[in-house]
Amino acid sequence: MKKWLKVFFPIAALLIMAINVQGAEHPRVIRFAYPAATNPGYAGSPLVNVINDQNLFEKEFSKDGIKIEQSYIKTAGPGTNEGFAAGLFDFADYGDFAIVLGKAGGLKNKLILSPSKGGNVYILARSALHINSVKDLRGKKVSYWKGTVLQTQALRVLEANGLTEKDIKQINLSTADALAALAAGTIDALVGSYDRPLIDQGLATLVYDTRNFPVSKRYREGLVVSEDFARKYPDITKRVAKVFIQAAYWASQEKNKEQLAQLLVKTGAKYKYVKGEFGVGNLSVKDQFDPRPDHENANDYKALIDFSLKNKLIRTNIDVDKWVDKSYADAALKELGLQNYWAK
Amino acid sequence: MSKIKYTLLLLGILLISNTDVQAADPSVAAPKVTKTETDSVSAESSKDADAIAAEDGDRVVTQKELQGLNSEVATLRDQLTRQLDRNIANTLRSLTIGGTLQNRYTALTSSNQPPAPNGFTVNAAILSFNGALKKDYDEGKNLTYSLSLISSAPTYNVQPYEAYLQYSIFQSLDLEKPTLYFQFGQQSKPFGLEPQVGEDKKPAAIYATFAGPGGFNLAARDIGIKLRGDLFPHVDTGYNYRVPFIDYAVALFNGSGPNASDTNKSKDVVARVAFNAPVDYSSDFRGLTFGNSVYSGKKDLLLGNGTLITGGTGQASTTRFGQDLSYVSSPIGFTAEYAVGRDEAAISGTAVANAVKATTQSRGYTFTLFYEWGEQFLTQYRNQNVYDDWWPKTYQPFLRFDRWDPNTAVAGNETSILTYGFNFFFAQTTKLQFNYNVSVGKKPNLPNVNQNTFVAQFQYGF
Repeated sequence: MKKWLKVFFPIAALLIMAINVQGAEHPRVIRFAYPAATNPGYAGSPLVNVINDQNLFEKEFSKDGIKIEQSYIKTAGPGTNEGFAAGLFDFADYGDFAIVLGKAGGLKNKLILSPSKGGNVYILARSALHINSVKDLRGKKVSYWKGTVLQTQALRVLEANGLTEKDIKQINLSTADALAALAAGTIDALVGSYDRPLIDQGLATLVYDTRNFPVSKRYREGLVVSEDFARKYPDITKRVAKVFIQAAYWASQEKNKEQLAQLLVKTGAKYKYVKGEFGVGNLSVKDQFDPRPDHENANDYKALIDFSLKNKLIRTNIDVDKWVDKSYADAALKELGLQNYWAK
Repeated sequence: MSKIKYTLLLLGILLISNTDVQAADPSVAAPKVTKTETDSVSAESSKDADAIAAEDGDRVVTQKELQGLNSEVATLRDQLTRQLDRNIANTLRSLTIGGTLQNRYTALTSSNQPPAPNGFTVNAAILSFNGALKKDYDEGKNLTYSLSLISSAPTYNVQPYEAYLQYSIFQSLDLEKPTLYFQFGQQSKPFGLEPQVGEDKKPAAIYATFAGPGGFNLAARDIGIKLRGDLFPHVDTGYNYRVPFIDYAVALFNGSGPNASDTNKSKDVVARVAFNAPVDYSSDFRGLTFGNSVYSGKKDLLLGNGTLITGGTGQASTTRFGQDLSYVSSPIGFTAEYAVGRDEAAISGTAVANAVKATTQSRGYTFTLFYEWGEQFLTQYRNQNVYDDWWPKTYQPFLRFDRWDPNTAVAGNETSILTYGFNFFFAQTTKLQFNYNVSVGKKPNLPNVNQNTFVAQFQYGF
């Protein structure tokens, strides 16, 4: 019996070590989360849709036998934060304000990439009210979805027009619910994303949009990785950054704008609205998909955090310089030979 | 060609829905065709459709295509009307039909008493109807109704389980404001945790003894009115998480139980106040609640053999006090609950004037500890946009200790039940439950009644 044990234990120990060593190199699965687009299987993030359309995850990770799990969260930022807090995701690509809320609330993650910037919001009002400017929203029932980028964007637009949240009657509804409420006439206006079906139906008019707002005050997407995953799998983290940068490189080229718009139509948005989101106004498509997480991106996050603290949207400060980790993006850019592509 | 057909079909459906939306609101004027647009259409209709390269990628529709589309729309409308007339059920107001079924297998695995037969049962079948009688889009001051019918073992009589109206007195749209609801009808009693909470705080298949018919029967519904609400809500928008600092409820009931008229003039009062940790989602104290409940009422004054004392209608007082502490923060949770009750009865006499009353004090407490692997109770995460019928699998082992003392003045008459349980959530509304109950029933001057019971139950809903 003792002899058998002498043989068994070293073999078992070696097997366990082998499994652990393998575990240290590669995870069995990489879990991603994104706010959902209208159509199932599509993300709100343009780059995620590019990645999936071009099978970039498969091309990068299938050779290692790593599975990719992607969750498309209908409840957007709040749902993504909840899953992240429960340890269900390794990476998440979502809006800057929800990322800040999660981080201020104690999520242990690193901000490693800026998949896109210059996101716009649109303020629609009921046609019958003849609201012509943001100032006309004073005293009106205006809906925007709290906990998402729509909240900070709405507050920034109000501020730019000399108003605060106290000057309106704020209603907290998801975008889908707000569209239904506006159509039913129970709210006066909404702050939503670029798809504007109510305008086509003659039920709403466009009051304002942020396409000419300073780029630094428009919302960004961010890619965060859990600290635990990044510590265990630094090379995989870099390779994930590489996949996103490949997609950003493709999307940042003028010649691909039309293809990008056609792709995003599949998410459930209208072509004419999608087309107006990329490379327009004061933002070139190349700048829009500049994925580097430092410099401008970090400064914009600092401004957003200050704004959130000032408006009591968060209670704790975030040390952006410690939170942003550019090492993965730098390594991936170097590997792809793109170190100077976005440099100014 | 087939692609064009499908596109036209899709356009037709969109047009119908668009027309319906506009028809529903008479204040919305029909879209106007401007002169420019009309001119443009008539000018372009004379051209070869394929030669028209419209701006912004929108191809202009020709007159022929438009006629085809109109024809398709008319056909679809006829089909829809016929289907609505013949095959679609209608209701006067909004209605959601749901149901819960429990299929159970029970086995008495060991006992020092004559064994009961093992067997399969449909433990309960509940059919529910819910909807709004008046929906307030402005502030959410909705008037709603709830009706559910139950058929359960052992009688399987079908009878109302819950039947009540609910009105939201305060607005209910803004998460950051308090809520207050008024409910009228047959409904749950706002006492403690076990009698009224959902499966996130109650993993066992069977009620703790104090809450069930073998104890104070607090889980049974009663008929009356209830005010319930909350105060000082704390909202963490980062997680869409809302927790009020205070939950409260006060109710007035017949005290006669479900589907029964009152037997006396007095009404029973039930009240509960619970204090929740008003913290952010990421706090370690999320899910911590401390509650206090009280029940005071009158019953008929009965002798020990159940005979009503003359003039004793509504002359026996009944009181219950309860305290509970719970911590439910995925993946771990526990609930601890204590309830004590005092019931008056007559020990002698024939009329109220000469009756000698005695008070019996009963006591029950329970403690449940559970752990889960999975995402069953992550409400935001579960809401994913997928094509298939995805649902996260969740495994939940638990342990519950339940003690019931029917008369604290008598020593050695308690019943203790230790339950080892396991729940497996494998679809949105379905779970498989395994409970193994080790029960020890003490009787004064008699041998203990020891029973081990295995219960397997599928609970599924629609």
